[in-house]
Amino acid sequence: MIQASNIHKTYNDGKVKVHALRGIDVEIKEGEFTAIVGPSGSGKTTLLNIVGGLDTPTLGEVHISDTNIAQLSENELIDFRLNHIGFVFQSYNLIPVLTAKENVEFLMLLQKRDEEERNERTTKLLKAVGLEDQINKKPNEMSGGQQQRVAVARALASKPDFVLADEPTANLDSKSTANLLDIMLRLNEEENITFVFSTHDQRVIDRAKRVITVEDGKILSDETR
Amino acid sequence: MLLKLAWRNIFRNKRRSLITVSSIIFAVLFAVFMRSLQYGAYGNMLKNIVSSYMGYVQIHSKGFWEEKTLDNSFSLSEIEQLKKQEGISYLSPRIEGFALVSFSETSKPVAILGVDPALEKEHIKLDQKVVEGNYFSDTKKGLLIGKGVKEIMKLSIGDTLVFLGQGYQGSMASGAYPIVGVIDLKTPELNKRTVVMTLEQAQELFALPDRVTTAVVGLYHDDWQDAQQETVAAIDTNMLEVMNWQEMLPELRQLISIDRAGGTFVLLILYSIITFSLFGTVLMLTEERSFEYGVLIAIGMEKNKVIIVAVLETIIMAIAGVVAGLFVAFPFVLYFNINPINLSGQMQEVVERFGFEALIPTSLDPSIATTHAGIIFVIVLVVNIYTLQKIKNLNPIKAMRK
Ligand SMILES: Nc1ncnc2c1ncn2[C@@H]1O[C@H](COP(=O)(O)OP(=O)(O)O)[C@@H](O)[C@H]1O
Ligand SMILES: [Mg+2]
Repeated sequence: MIQASNIHKTYNDGKVKVHALRGIDVEIKEGEFTAIVGPSGSGKTTLLNIVGGLDTPTLGEVHISDTNIAQLSENELIDFRLNHIGFVFQSYNLIPVLTAKENVEFLMLLQKRDEEERNERTTKLLKAVGLEDQINKKPNEMSGGQQQRVAVARALASKPDFVLADEPTANLDSKSTANLLDIMLRLNEEENITFVFSTHDQRVIDRAKRVITVEDGKILSDETR
Repeated sequence: MLLKLAWRNIFRNKRRSLITVSSIIFAVLFAVFMRSLQYGAYGNMLKNIVSSYMGYVQIHSKGFWEEKTLDNSFSLSEIEQLKKQEGISYLSPRIEGFALVSFSETSKPVAILGVDPALEKEHIKLDQKVVEGNYFSDTKKGLLIGKGVKEIMKLSIGDTLVFLGQGYQGSMASGAYPIVGVIDLKTPELNKRTVVMTLEQAQELFALPDRVTTAVVGLYHDDWQDAQQETVAAIDTNMLEVMNWQEMLPELRQLISIDRAGGTFVLLILYSIITFSLFGTVLMLTEERSFEYGVLIAIGMEKNKVIIVAVLETIIMAIAGVVAGLFVAFPFVLYFNINPINLSGQMQEVVERFGFEALIPTSLDPSIATTHAGIIFVIVLVVNIYTLQKIKNLNPIKAMRK
């Protein structure tokens, strides 16, 4: 479970202070398929970064899987992310010099998992995202949609508690978007993988099971369907 | 896995790696070539001293250098014990005197050098300086005259020269010897005034039996400082003086040290340029890649591991650059060793005044290459501290915001 309470985030961008988040309380449970929705600049990325332990709030507390992440050192936090959170970013997620298979395997190597488990899991995940025939391709040899699918597979490889995806479909055409959503939804339903993703694409919003709308750094609405 | 990442990163962006590696190659080439040239010049001058008449170290009777008279001479038995010294390979006795030399109508003052023919042949290859006639032999005692002497006095082989001068302890020096050969001492100055005869003849001419004015100390190594100390320790310094080439040729010493300081200065500038250009490269590369580093840290790769990858990349490229640099530098250095650079103008004049060839062959001393390759390797590593620092302080969110 992720619990974020009274989250404020202020950026000191030179002389101008930007209040990106102004008091957000949110709770995300295992198995959710949640969209964070809002116009550009509303604070979606900031919120995802904070609940994913990538950024620290100016005020407020974040507990991820019962850990108060404010209490972790920099290295502990990196390790915590490795073992508890899977990330999918908007683009250029993958390590350019590694093949699809190696990208998926990468986090498991960092986790020091044994070879057998790595191979088994990599194969399984690439199959789950429909890329079993692309395993030896480098990112620049794949389409944007394929790259995002590899990114999803990689995010799952470390067996995280949550997968956070910041506008994962922003750079995809509608077919690839639908395809990626299908895969995420199936993983959510069949494997009970928790997905939290931000978007402002109505077709993506329509498929979310819970929609949290933010505007001006505040939660405007939070509805579970 | 980290090594694999580093390795692939190098080959992924060939342009980037090529820039880095070639800047290292260029640095190595430049530093090694410059230094080889400089050490070559320096070494060549010194080698010239040894193969000229000076030698590195000489023994004289005390006061001879100040006042070059035959009265300031000494007996060879006084330095006999030196031959047992470890660093000393031989002692070459000489008589340096002056006399008026005449042939038919012309006469001219000359510097007379009495030498041991066998020793000078063996050690300074005096015989190879003969350009006409022959070197001394058992049957051919006589004179080797400088090329210039021959021209001025219009002499030819076989002519007999008559000598007149002052001998030992006020005696009269006179004698007549035939010319057996003409030598070229490479510099007009020396050629115009030098006449070489055997030591025995000189002793006879100057009535200086068993005595010499000079003994050149032959060394096994070029370590003349040690040899000078050894010599000083083994002889009676109340009677004799031991001088090294720097004392005998202070001007040459100055020339070399100015040249060396200049070389060090140029090298310092060169290394600053190298450092800045490498730093520029590193700066650019680090900026280019901070997004990538940001992703790695965001998804859970510890900074230390990212740093290891970066360091591995640097080390691999540094090794490649340094090795390639040495490979490129070698033919350059070799070429200019075989085809020495010819000095011209003022430098040439100064150098030739000391009796040396105005040629600079590059030095092939491998320690020059290894030293400067090593220095550049270290510079590359030091410059990369910037990257490490950058990764250490990297905020993945900022890096990924672009
Ligand atoms: N590192 C930062 N420095 C300064 N301002 C920032 C930074 N990150 C985000 N902001 C500002 O915070 C606000 C929220 O941004 P963001 O969370 O990226 O919104 P969204 O993802 O919904 O577009 C914006 O006004 C943005 O300009
Ligand atoms: Mg955003």
